[in-house]
Amino acid sequence: VTLFRRVLFVLGVAGLIGLLARFRGKGGVPPTSGGWRELEAPNFR
Amino acid sequence: VTTALIVGVGEVGVRAARQLVDTPAIDRVLIADRDRKRASRLADSLGKQASAVDVYDELPAGVDVVATALPRTADAEIIERAIEAGVPCASCDDDAEAVAVLEGFDDLAKNRGVAVALSCGLAPGLSDVLARHAADTFDEVSEIRIARTGWGGPACQASVRRARHQPALEWHDEHWRDDQPSGELLMWFPEPIGARDCCAVATGVRTLVSAFPHVPRLSFALGEPPKRSMLRRRFGDDGEWGAARVEVWGRNAHGQDCLVYGVVERTSVAAGAVLAVTAAHLADALGGLGERTAPPGVHGLGALVEPVSFLAELAQRGVRVAVFEGVPVA
Repeated sequence: VTLFRRVLFVLGVAGLIGLLARFRGKGGVPPTSGGWRELEAPNFR
Repeated sequence: VTTALIVGVGEVGVRAARQLVDTPAIDRVLIADRDRKRASRLADSLGKQASAVDVYDELPAGVDVVATALPRTADAEIIERAIEAGVPCASCDDDAEAVAVLEGFDDLAKNRGVAVALSCGLAPGLSDVLARHAADTFDEVSEIRIARTGWGGPACQASVRRARHQPALEWHDEHWRDDQPSGELLMWFPEPIGARDCCAVATGVRTLVSAFPHVPRLSFALGEPPKRSMLRRRFGDDGEWGAARVEVWGRNAHGQDCLVYGVVERTSVAAGAVLAVTAAHLADALGGLGERTAPPGVHGLGALVEPVSFLAELAQRGVRVAVFEGVPVA
């Protein structure tokens, strides 16, 4: 029973940390600057 | 009379056949597919210039160029037969193992004086031409990174899935390095695709190394195809839009610099246009592209075509490229 409780406790803590990382994390795309310009004939530069 | 034979009429083959019919200097387009009815329907829809044929036993007489748009490894036999007959060919198979098999025909192609174009798609394919175009602006190129997201039809999607699960191949300090896929890299493509996760693969690296043997680092990454689900199989998915990104680092008059080119187009449309333009070039049906005569042997597009005239021909067909201006983030 003690082992079972410990496993449940560890899984609970892991789940809590996972949820915090999921909803409070600063993921997403890093910043960039600039943009895309279509290349034109004759040189396509 | 200039005759082109297109073998395989899936998503890419259909587009390539239409592009070949729309090429003024191509007089006749022969269409072959294991599904003869599908080939006949396509030929009927393309008008008098097109007709369906069988290529199980031998090539039809009078063919000037062969373009293949078949699932991975399926075109080796027809390409070998074309080389034996002295007919140039273009293949859009980008699978690393299939490309290695086709590269094995190099000696045969050189002996027969025939040019074979490998991996004629969005990326690899057009990306190799853009890499050549960018590399021409540098005195010394240190690294080329190519990435693609998007897929043509089911065969292309399966090929992407397979490539992402196999060990990646990188050309690093002029040595081959094969690693297990090491996670996703965030790649920036032109809008509206934007940022996508891609992972390093073996696809496209061999042809890059052949075209740029003195560049120390070459790599290729592919985006993740959608998960397979019953609804997606039944109603299709949004994967038909694709994008390629070509990042070239090197030294020029300003010091160390980077040039990033990108393309956004429906993957099968871009691949079909690239395959058709390459085939027309090999058949000498495009005057403007004749500045660089296709050398005999098996080559990727980076070693086979003149970038500016190739890009001009593609632009006329609606496939346009862009350059990134700003601070690049890999």
